[in-house]
Amino acid sequence: MRYGPILGAGALFSLACSWAALVMAPQLQLGALAPAPIPNSSDVHPALRPGLAAQGAEVYRSLGCYQCHTRQVRQKRLLFGARLNAVGSNANTVSLELPGSGKTNLVNLDLLIALAKARPDLGIAKVTVPPPLLADTNVVAALGQFTANLALLQHADDKAGIVRPTSGPTVNDVAGRRPAEILVKVGPEAAERAVKLLTDSGAKAELVIYNLGPDIERGWGARRSVARDFVNDTPVLLGSLRVGPDLASLGTRAPEKFAAPWKFAGTNTAAELEHRLLIHLYNPRLLAKDSTCPSATYLFDKQKPEVRYAGEPLVVSKELPPVFPKHNARALVAYLLTQRNDVSLPEAPTPAVAAAPAGSNAPAKP
Amino acid sequence: MTTAQPSSQTACAAAPSVAEVEASCRLPVLFLAFSGAAWLCAGAVLALLASIQLYQPTFMEGCPWVTYGRLRPAAVNALAYGFALQTSFALALWLIARLGRVELAAPLGLTIAAKFWNIAVTVGVFGILAGDATGFDLLEFPLYAALPIFASYACLAAWALVTLHQRTERELYVSLWFVVAALLWFPWILSTAQGLLLGWQVPGVVQAIVAGWFGNNLLQIVLTSFALAVLFYFVPKTVNRPLANPGLARAGFWLLLLLGGWGGLAQLAAVPAWIPAVSGAANVLVIVPVLALLVSLWQTADGKIAEAWKDNATFRFLLVAAILLLGVTLRTAVFGGHWTQFTFFATARTDIVLLGVFGLAALGALHHIVPRLTTGDDELPSSGLADVAFWAALLGVLFVGIGFSLAGFAQAGVNADAGKAFLKDGVVGIAGQLKLVTVGYGALALAALAFLANFGLAVRRCCAACCGGAR
Ligand code: HEC
Repeated sequence: MRYGPILGAGALFSLACSWAALVMAPQLQLGALAPAPIPNSSDVHPALRPGLAAQGAEVYRSLGCYQCHTRQVRQKRLLFGARLNAVGSNANTVSLELPGSGKTNLVNLDLLIALAKARPDLGIAKVTVPPPLLADTNVVAALGQFTANLALLQHADDKAGIVRPTSGPTVNDVAGRRPAEILVKVGPEAAERAVKLLTDSGAKAELVIYNLGPDIERGWGARRSVARDFVNDTPVLLGSLRVGPDLASLGTRAPEKFAAPWKFAGTNTAAELEHRLLIHLYNPRLLAKDSTCPSATYLFDKQKPEVRYAGEPLVVSKELPPVFPKHNARALVAYLLTQRNDVSLPEAPTPAVAAAPAGSNAPAKP
Repeated sequence: MTTAQPSSQTACAAAPSVAEVEASCRLPVLFLAFSGAAWLCAGAVLALLASIQLYQPTFMEGCPWVTYGRLRPAAVNALAYGFALQTSFALALWLIARLGRVELAAPLGLTIAAKFWNIAVTVGVFGILAGDATGFDLLEFPLYAALPIFASYACLAAWALVTLHQRTERELYVSLWFVVAALLWFPWILSTAQGLLLGWQVPGVVQAIVAGWFGNNLLQIVLTSFALAVLFYFVPKTVNRPLANPGLARAGFWLLLLLGGWGGLAQLAAVPAWIPAVSGAANVLVIVPVLALLVSLWQTADGKIAEAWKDNATFRFLLVAAILLLGVTLRTAVFGGHWTQFTFFATARTDIVLLGVFGLAALGALHHIVPRLTTGDDELPSSGLADVAFWAALLGVLFVGIGFSLAGFAQAGVNADAGKAFLKDGVVGIAGQLKLVTVGYGALALAALAFLANFGLAVRRCCAACCGGAR
């Protein structure tokens, strides 16, 4: 090769390819991402951080906490389920107790068929009607419909090669428990179909989601972190190494899910968590003997400072004199407390509020 | 830089002699080489101090300037900008001058630009320690250091390219392909990253993507290219044979440029799934060019490796660097996915490329270049110190690489299984492996010191010769 310019042009072309794919394309895809409204409230997620927490973000960056802590919860898969909440009623609902007995035993016959369709692994027990009820024309009509549906179901079962067990739990048992988990950890299509079958039969059913994976099991977050969680951050400190636990949802972490588990003593849990985090900053080894989290004693004053609004002294432990958290310590804790990912997003739902599954819900594949 | 001496080269009437070429290189290349090695020593010491805090958290406790979160990025950036990039400028200038058979344009200007580079790196490292780090891996220097870095680079690269343009040997040898590619690559990625992160501030996770893209390009293209430039120059020279398979080298070169820039984002979880997937695929595909390039080198040296290992200090460094290049590529391709995400295994790639692949190749090359430019010999004055430098650097890189990798595997096991206790298995449980890392950084600092001592001896001998002759 003799010509430098050709060489240079080729190199720049190669670079332009990777630049277009890995810098331009993500910017086009994610650049316009905006906070999402939180259902049933006027708030959005992620919310703008209040001033103190925004200052805390700077302390977090400045002290390099991101060198040891990630803020990215991972999740293996997103699976779905169907839950039966109420039997409901319709024309084919009959009461199996005699009128005047004071008891009611409503059976939604359509629901039994729907359940049987959703759960081919369960048998169907006979519905026995006390003879006096057979005089009721409504009951007779409903039973007739039920028998016809059963025959259709039997036919469909035979066609699909489904053999229902004759012993063990039946759909009748399942319909008797509420709430009942009809399907657990299945794909979105199966769960959606089951929910539709159940609601069509007049019952109240909902779609349940299951976020799975070690991070979720550890209690580090309700769902995986997604790009939208960070639209208000600058700089975005995702972290790439977990010497310490993930902090993406530290603000909502249950006490027993900390690396050094603890318990709330009273009812003012917010104040307790804040106190706990201040002590952690002052010296993590007071809370977990083996912790390698660096202590930030320089964020605390030994003597009561002269400034007004110095704040309450922090009682570190019984043996040690109290210390006075500086402004930066309070800011950092305020920032840590804003870390949360329990808000359901269309692209990353949380179990509490299940959105309808859509194609975009597939979690990041490993 | 004109001398009264007639040119001893007959190939081209205008071509300067080797002595003239080397004379023009002397000041800037020696300055860059010396400062680079000094930064290697400083960076290794900073990394050593940081690594102790990982298992001994009370070490240097109570001062924000030396807390792990600042010490570690200070160390990595000192090693990347102070040592690796600076040394690669020394190598680039020397390779352009030697292979292009041309005197360096503006040696004094280059030296001044190099001086500014050093000032900027120093300011940046202190900026990080003072708490001004930007928060992006390998781009932690605050703006007030990042801009001077870019400006001094622009001067260095511009003069390097002017020199290349004036070359009397028109044919561009493989080494120069890599040098040119890396010299053009670096300003683009640096300006893109600094512009988007510190200037325009793209929103949200795009920042992390840009930073990951920059870091990967710096390691996989820029520094690996400089290492390969050195390998392709010295291996044929040492075994005294022409390059065995130039076609293969050419294919490897272009494929490396095309594929190498796509990796590095497998470390991100909170981004659309296609991004880590593309990066993971690129990490695997890049094996092809790396293999092509190494096979071409291997065919050149085949049969003479043992002999060259014994006789030539430079060659030993280069052989290990080549093996490490293969090793780090395979390591990332095989284990670089989801499983080792967020562990020391993944983050240690930076150390292995900076100190192992590039670091060993560069130290090896300097063991030839520094004596050429001082005493005029092919080897540094003390072969004992050269041995110390080699073995300490080799063990240092191995200890750091193996220590971090084993710690990473243990962390990966904890990450994958919520039943394991985070604190006991994932934090306390990796202290032993991390102690190995501390020893490794110590050995690397020792290697840098041994080289610097040898450097000093060579300079003293050179001065004694000149001044002694004058007296
Ligand atoms: C050297 C690495 C390191 C650095 C730097 C670091 N941490 Fe930690 N951090 C840890 C480790 C290890 C743990 C787990 C042990 C514990 O709970 O103390 C931890 C735990 C924590 C916890 C408790 C989380 C939980 O789930 O138990 C918080 C909060 C925390 N760190 C905050 C911070 C803050 C804020 C900073 C920056 C000032 C920081 N860390 C810097 C290593 C680090």
